[in-house]
Amino acid sequence: MMYPHRIFNKAISGEPPSNALLAAVGGASASVLMSAYSMSVVFAIAVGALIAAGIHGTYCTTAYLGRSASQKRFRQPIYLDMVRSHVPVMMGFAYITTFCILVVSYLMTSVLGHPFPLTLLAFIWGITVGAIGSSTGDVHYGAEREFQNVEFGSGLNAANSGNIVRKAECGLRNGIDNSWFCAKFGGPVTGLAFGMTVFLSGWITTIFDPSMGANIGWLSIVAGLAIILILILWNRRLEVFARNQYGPYKEDEEVTA
Amino acid sequence: MSAGGSGGGAAEAIPQNKLIAFGAAGGLIAIYLSYFMVQFAGPAFSFIGALGAICAIVWGAAAVRRVANYGLGTGVPSIGMLALGMGVVATIFGLAIGGIAGPVVAFVTAMVIGLVIGALANRIIGMGIPIMEQSMTEIAGAGTLAIVGLSTAMTGTFMFDVILTEVIATGYIALIFIVAGIAILHPFNANLGPDEKQDRTLSTAFEKGAIAMVMAGIVSQFQPVHPLLPQSLSDWPYGMFLSASTASMLSGTHMMWLEQVSCQRKRRNRNEHGTCCP
Repeated sequence: MMYPHRIFNKAISGEPPSNALLAAVGGASASVLMSAYSMSVVFAIAVGALIAAGIHGTYCTTAYLGRSASQKRFRQPIYLDMVRSHVPVMMGFAYITTFCILVVSYLMTSVLGHPFPLTLLAFIWGITVGAIGSSTGDVHYGAEREFQNVEFGSGLNAANSGNIVRKAECGLRNGIDNSWFCAKFGGPVTGLAFGMTVFLSGWITTIFDPSMGANIGWLSIVAGLAIILILILWNRRLEVFARNQYGPYKEDEEVTA
Repeated sequence: MSAGGSGGGAAEAIPQNKLIAFGAAGGLIAIYLSYFMVQFAGPAFSFIGALGAICAIVWGAAAVRRVANYGLGTGVPSIGMLALGMGVVATIFGLAIGGIAGPVVAFVTAMVIGLVIGALANRIIGMGIPIMEQSMTEIAGAGTLAIVGLSTAMTGTFMFDVILTEVIATGYIALIFIVAGIAILHPFNANLGPDEKQDRTLSTAFEKGAIAMVMAGIVSQFQPVHPLLPQSLSDWPYGMFLSASTASMLSGTHMMWLEQVSCQRKRRNRNEHGTCCP
C-alpha cells in the first residue's frame, strides 16, 4: 500500500497449484507426443517442458499486469520493461523445473514400473515440489530478502506486509535481484528439503520392507515417527540457537507470514 | 479497504444472473452439441465441448470473484481447487449413472454438493458470508461443466466407458483438474486489489479458458475414439503439431487406420509406447 515498487508480483495461484499446472501440462504433452506420435523420450519431454514454460509465461504476465492494474489507487505503475526482463527468466526456471519433474516421472513409470500414468505422476510431483518450495523457500527468500528492514525475529506483522525493501545495493531492487539472493541459500535449502523428503520417505520402506512381514511394516512406521521426532527436536534447537544469536524472541509479535 | 477485496459485495457491470445463464446454458448446450456433432458430422467438432468449458470457466471465475471479494485473500486458490474437487466427484458419479443425461445429472449432483458445502461453511464453521451458499453452488456447477466439457473435447463423447479408459485411466484427468481449476481461480487471484474490475477479471477468465482448450486439443490428438474421418481432418481445428503419423495416415487406407486404432488401444492398455504397424 502506497509503496510503489519494482518487484515482480507473480500471483498465479500459490506455488503448489502453479507448479502442478506446469508439470501436468508438460506431462500430458510429452505423453501425447510419445504415445500418439512415437517421438523419442528426450525430445517429447523437452517439447512438453517448452509448452509448459510458454503457458507459464502467459500466467506470469496476466498476474503481474492484473495485480498492478488493480492497485491503481496506490500509484503502482506497470513497468513494461519488467515484463520483458522477468518473464523470460521465469519461463526459463519453469522449463528447468518441468524438465526435471518429467524426467523423474518418466523414470518412475518406465524403469521402476510405477502403475500411475505419466501425467498423474507429474501432477503429484508438481504439487510436492511446489509445496516444499513454498514452505521452505518462502521463509528464506520472502521473509529474509523482502523484509530486511524489520528486526530479525520480529515476525511479519500484517500491517507491515506492503512495506517491502524497495531499494537495492545499486538502484531500485527488482525480482531478479531477489532471485540472485535466493540462489545462494533459499534455492539449495529447498532442494535439500525436497531431496530429504523424497529420500527419507522412500528409505524407511526400503530398509524395513513391509512386503517381508507385518512386523517389519510396523518397524517402518516406527522409523518414520523417529525421524520426524528427531527433526522436530533438531529444528527447535536450531531455532532457539538462531534467535539467541541474532535477534530477540518476541512472542506477542509472532504473526505467521 | 484491504488488499484481499473490498470486504463487501462486488461491483458488477454484468449482473451475476446473466453470467449464470451464460455459463450453465452455454456449457450444457455446447457439450450436447459437441456430442451430437461428433456423432453425425465427424470428430473434428469435438472442440465445441471446450467452448462450453470456456463458458463454464468464465461463470466460475465470476462466482469466485463474487464470494472472494468478501476478503478471502489466500483463500482464492483454495476455493478454485474446491470447485474442481466437487466437480470431479460429481462428474464421475453423474456420467457413470447418467448415460445420455450424464452431464445434466453431474451438474445437478454438483450443485447439491456445493449447496451442502456452502451451508456447512456458513452455518457450522460460521464464515458469515451472505452469498456463500449460492456461490458454492455456482462454483461446483461451473467446475463440473468445465470438466465434462474438456473431457468431451478430448474424447468426442461423455459416455462413461470411454471417459474411464481415455481420460481417467490415462491420467489426463489430472491435467483437466489443474487447467480448469487454475482457469477458474487465477482470474480473480491475478486481479486481486482494490481497483479490481469485472471486465478485466472475466477477460482473463476467457484467456485462461482458451489455454485449457489448447491443452484439450493437444490431448485430443491421442484419442482414436471416432475413426470416421482420417486423422488429418480430426486434428484440423487444433493443428498443434504436424507429425510423421499424419502423413502416414494420409497415405494409408481407411482400414489400416482402423487397425492402427485398435492396435494402439491394446498397446496402451498394456502400457507400451510406440507405433504399431498393422
